[in-house]
Amino acid sequence: MNLRPPVNRVDPRARRWWSAQAWVSLAGPMLLVALTMFVLSLLFFPKALVWLGPLLVAVLVLPALLYALVMPPWRYRVHAWELGSKAVYAASGWFWQKHRVTPLSRVQTVDTTQGPIQRSFGLATVVVTTASTHGDVKIAGLAAADADELARRIGEAAEVVPGDAT
Amino acid sequence: MTWQRLDRRTIAVHCAWLVAPLASFVLTLLATGGAVGVRGWLTLAGITLAFLVITIYGVLRLTTTRYRISASTFELNTGVLHRRRRSIVLERVRNVDLTASPVHRVLGLVVLRAGTAASDGGKELVLDALPRATAHRLREELLARADRTHADDPVIATMHWKWLRYAPLTFWVFGGVLIVAGAATRALNGLDIKWWEIGIVQDAFAAFGHSALWLTIPLLALGLTLLGMIGAIAVYVETWWSYRLEWTDAETLQVRRGLLTTRAVSIERRRLRGSRLREPLLLRAGGGALVDAVAGGLGNQEETRRRSSVLPPSPRAEAARVALEVLGLPQGTDPSLRKHPEVAQRRRVVRGFVFVTLPITFVLLLLGFLLTTVLLHVAWIFFLVTAPVAVWMGRDAYRNLGHGISGSHLVIRSGVFSRDTVLLEREGVLSWSFSSNPFSRRAGLVTATAAVAAGEQGYRIRDLAESDAVDFAEAVTPNFLTEFLARPSREVLG
Repeated sequence: MNLRPPVNRVDPRARRWWSAQAWVSLAGPMLLVALTMFVLSLLFFPKALVWLGPLLVAVLVLPALLYALVMPPWRYRVHAWELGSKAVYAASGWFWQKHRVTPLSRVQTVDTTQGPIQRSFGLATVVVTTASTHGDVKIAGLAAADADELARRIGEAAEVVPGDAT
Repeated sequence: MTWQRLDRRTIAVHCAWLVAPLASFVLTLLATGGAVGVRGWLTLAGITLAFLVITIYGVLRLTTTRYRISASTFELNTGVLHRRRRSIVLERVRNVDLTASPVHRVLGLVVLRAGTAASDGGKELVLDALPRATAHRLREELLARADRTHADDPVIATMHWKWLRYAPLTFWVFGGVLIVAGAATRALNGLDIKWWEIGIVQDAFAAFGHSALWLTIPLLALGLTLLGMIGAIAVYVETWWSYRLEWTDAETLQVRRGLLTTRAVSIERRRLRGSRLREPLLLRAGGGALVDAVAGGLGNQEETRRRSSVLPPSPRAEAARVALEVLGLPQGTDPSLRKHPEVAQRRRVVRGFVFVTLPITFVLLLLGFLLTTVLLHVAWIFFLVTAPVAVWMGRDAYRNLGHGISGSHLVIRSGVFSRDTVLLEREGVLSWSFSSNPFSRRAGLVTATAAVAAGEQGYRIRDLAESDAVDFAEAVTPNFLTEFLARPSREVLG
């Protein structure tokens, strides 16, 4: 693509945050389900283990491990941001990647948000909203202080650029 | 003008929805021969309670709702528990819509909606309901002082009954039958009647069912299709009766339509960002199309989808004309669209096989081996039938892909089940996104999404060549992408 990657990486701690999120939201529950089914089968239908064991590994265990181990570093390679003179530019995603450029003249609000897991890692997300949901920019996994600073800078830059933001 | 009240009969309108449960109660009575069970009494008690609540609330609402037109404002006081006083300046009134549901009509009532331009929050004052004559008088009064400039050539399109021939080509042919069948089943269920136990059905099944399947099935299919066509025509007539698309003033585009329930939608020119010409598969085969406006300020996503329709299924040429005319664009220039890379075609054909043909064939084969050999035959027949369809659809999807710039507008075409041609105002594009996944990256493709504050919010240009995507986006909206380009811009390279 003719777009170069954004200059600034997100905070390295984001990798651990994404892992934590992966374990809590998807990988952990999947492993738990697999374990429960394994134990139940062991107790009541020991004969079914022959085919249930491999099935559980293939459908639940491997995908869960793969997701929790592969997603965070992959995401970290992709996620980046840049504040240009006319627009804010962010890259996000891992398997499905998205590069978004939103001009400062169209920015309506700039917020920082922090979820409970994110807070424990000292990270925050900058959310730039526009009049269209497809124009909103999210920069996740910044150090909390950097996030506030960036939000302030985007806010200031957006004020300078004239336009009614629609 | 002193403070006025709503019409008393409004309470009757609110009670109207009790008719359905009441009717089903009466029907149950008739069906069971007057024996009211516990369930029957409970139903009756529920209906009575609802009637009381609605009536009391209605009386309170009537006594607390007042409106008046003063020297410069239209004021409305409402609220039973939470009092509210609202007013709009008469000069700001953009449109006054009178609508009436069938129940309103029977009682001679009309709902009046007075709306302002969206620039001051799109306020709307609703009077539900007034006697018809009063409503018309009030409307005249409200509009008399409105600051409106008239458009030069206001009417863009009106109904032609020749277009009715496109009605059977809409979703309602099949959807209508399903909905009616569903409703009928539910009604019969509610009355505890099993349709397969009804005498006529059993007799018919005994007469034809076994002996003459070759006759029954085609006849049934024919009958259902006919029923569907009648339903589709009925829906078309109900939806588009006295359709009229016009500029009510220089800044407001208005669509009026509807037979039993009349609808009027006003779209502000300022928030009209484009138009979309839709050609669903059946309609396209019959040479028809319909048009939606790509506009903001029509409500949430669901409401936007419902309210953005500006032209019923009609001849494609007419649709193309309206799609351009609502945007004030000159006629006759069918924009030349750029093709997408050849790989996009392969991807579309492969997708058809991977997501439809192969999995279903596989499942059929598996079941065939496990259960019965009949399914094996079904499997290969299914594969032979769907394979060419998948190829054809993939090719057609690719043929329909296109993008380009036509003056001040961006043009995007795509889709096979519905071929959509979207015209978007370049000025209205407020952000660009480029998305990809490992497969598309290997094919050298990227999907660009233009964000707009209207319609579906984002419009995708699928599968552009990686090397062209950003350049095209930059051509549409010069300026803000330049500083992030990977190489010096084209002018420098020559």
